[in-house]
Amino acid sequence: MSEQADSGAAASGSGRALGLAALSWLVPGAGHFAVGKLRKGLVFLLVILVTVLIGCELQGNLYRVIAGQPLTLLGTVASLGAGLPYLALRFVFHYQGDVMARGYEYGTAFLVTAGLMNWLVVLDAWDRARTHGAEREEGE
Amino acid sequence: MIHFLLMLAYAFLISVFFATLWRHDFASQLRLFLQMFFGLVVGALLLAWLMYPFPAGPPTS
Repeated sequence: MSEQADSGAAASGSGRALGLAALSWLVPGAGHFAVGKLRKGLVFLLVILVTVLIGCELQGNLYRVIAGQPLTLLGTVASLGAGLPYLALRFVFHYQGDVMARGYEYGTAFLVTAGLMNWLVVLDAWDRARTHGAEREEGE
Repeated sequence: MIHFLLMLAYAFLISVFFATLWRHDFASQLRLFLQMFFGLVVGALLLAWLMYPFPAGPPTS
């Protein structure tokens, strides 16, 4: 009976961790808000949004998969990490970037970096939820 | 577009991000931030200085 309860709790904890990771992907920092790490969550949200905004201001490339160009898949996976900002730029604002803009290469670096940073935030939120934030903080 | 300012902005954002991600108390976050920020900026300037003797590339005209 106790084993069943333990496995049920583990499954529930694992589900919660995945849910937090998904939330954290969609809205940068939201996973940390959910586990009570408000300051960290706010810093992640601000840093990632500012990075995306600078990338857009410079007219960088927002990667999407192009058939016959396998490297665009890697760029898309990296940029897609930004979550809602990526989806909004691509599907709501139809942002594409401008290859002729002076800041194109820099802007692309900012946009890809924003996505990669949020992937790290997602992993951190998932890890926090899995290992129970308070215990982890004590151990560090 | 000022390249150096963009580099400073990039180094600042990266440093704030990793200091927040990897450290948990303010003092160690600040220490890591300063190490990363100045490491990135000084490292880039040093690399630029080392590359100075190399030709800049073909003429643009």
